[in-house]
Amino acid sequence: MSASLAPECNEVKERYDSCFLKWYSEKFLRGTARSDECDPLFKQYEQCLSKALKAKGIDNMLKEAREDNRENDAEHMRPKR
Amino acid sequence: MKIFQQHTEFDYSWEEVSTSNWRKYGPWNKLSTHVIAVDTLSRAVDPETGILRTERLITCKQSSPKWINSLLGGQDTSLVYETSYVDPTAKKVTMCSMNMTWSDLLNVRETCVYSPSGASPDAKTLFEQRAEITALCGGWQKIKNSIEQFTVERFQQNAAKGREGFEMVLEMSRKVFAEQRELMKLQNESEILKAAKF
Repeated sequence: MSASLAPECNEVKERYDSCFLKWYSEKFLRGTARSDECDPLFKQYEQCLSKALKAKGIDNMLKEAREDNRENDAEHMRPKR
Repeated sequence: MKIFQQHTEFDYSWEEVSTSNWRKYGPWNKLSTHVIAVDTLSRAVDPETGILRTERLITCKQSSPKWINSLLGGQDTSLVYETSYVDPTAKKVTMCSMNMTWSDLLNVRETCVYSPSGASPDAKTLFEQRAEITALCGGWQKIKNSIEQFTVERFQQNAAKGREGFEMVLEMSRKVFAEQRELMKLQNESEILKAAKF
């Protein structure tokens, strides 16, 4: 798995990524995903990462990117059947 | 604006490709050393559509030539914002990315789609890539054209490398998955043996 841009988050990121990958291949793709069992790990990782993003000033850049991405969301969140 | 487009097929099922896609820039890919970090910013399944939406931040080592780097500001890393949408029913992965670094001067928007191949949907996966490149620096058309042209050429050079690197990940993934299944089979069999004995 890839590293985090914040080295202090690597350990919890690694645990979250492994959890997610297992959930994705064994449950999500098979249509049996009920709840997101990796959520507690994600919250820990997110807490660590968000501090680093703030410290590096990336959080403000992200706001802009999210704004620019709205049309992609509108286009791809619709199911195409 | 300039456009780069290509498509190719992988000899792996859509399920394998879409799973390995999450490890594309990991240590199994020996050709993606320019990717320093991949962070997940958010992730959720839409309750209505069942689509998994993920936001990621990709940190890359800067590899542009000096003339561009000095024109555009000279940082040593660049950031890419990516959103992906996985529709497990339609079997479609769509990934949209844009540059966050130098975004006042250059706009790169890329869309990649993974879907089952039309000819053999259970064994092969189609990969379609399209990028739109627009230089924004005011005035000098000649400079804008050079920056756009350079960026398109980079996409062309990276396309083959990207494919080759992802092939490494797909191969490794299949191997590891087969080993895991073998191990589980052995464990299950030994349990059956145990149960039969006692």
